[in-house]
Amino acid sequence: MASTVIGAGITIEGEVATDDDVIVQGTIRGKLNAKESVTIEEGATVEADIVGGAMRVAGQVTGNISSTDRVDLQPGAKVVGNVKAARITIADGAQFKGNVDMDV
Amino acid sequence: MAQTKTTSHSGTSAAAQEATIGSGTRVRGRVSGDGDLVILGQVEGEITMRGDLTIGQGGSVTSNVEVRGIEIAGSLEGDVNASGDVHISSGARVRGDMRGAQIAIDEGAEFAGRLDCDFELPAELQSSR
Repeated sequence: MASTVIGAGITIEGEVATDDDVIVQGTIRGKLNAKESVTIEEGATVEADIVGGAMRVAGQVTGNISSTDRVDLQPGAKVVGNVKAARITIADGAQFKGNVDMDV
Repeated sequence: MAQTKTTSHSGTSAAAQEATIGSGTRVRGRVSGDGDLVILGQVEGEITMRGDLTIGQGGSVTSNVEVRGIEIAGSLEGDVNASGDVHISSGARVRGDMRGAQIAIDEGAEFAGRLDCDFELPAELQSSR
């Protein structure tokens, strides 16, 4: 099981770099550098620039998101920052403030 | 607690998951929280948890640690202040001062540091002092 889970009660202040899939249920302040998928779950707070593969966001993100694959902002997501990815979806009920760069 | 988690998330990650720093993950900075944490990757910084910490085999921690209980099977460099038990398993490499309610070091563990553990001496030892 190569996966990193930042649980609901956990706060990381600093830099997280990973080759694993990441699931965030808690709080990250700083930087998140992933190579694989990143899931920001409902209730999670990320105040960081995020780099990674496919991303699913249902929590709160303040920072720029950059994905090598796709970004899905799900209902309940609250994102303030720029999103850069080849494919982006913003679901009904997701809040988003920032620029979208789909690299066209 | 695992039950409520399962029902509140309808997504793919429905299974009850422990907070884990996976083997491919490096964290630099402060890690804090109320729950338990398992570290299989690398952590450099400071760890303050109200729950239990497990440093699994292959896990590498360079930081001072303040937790309830701690189980070490990987490597740790730093001081530990535990309100619960400290368990250094076989294969672990630990350098630092340990403080806990109870401290156990298994055969095959490497340890360099001080042990600090409050307990009542048995009556016969107390009287001989």
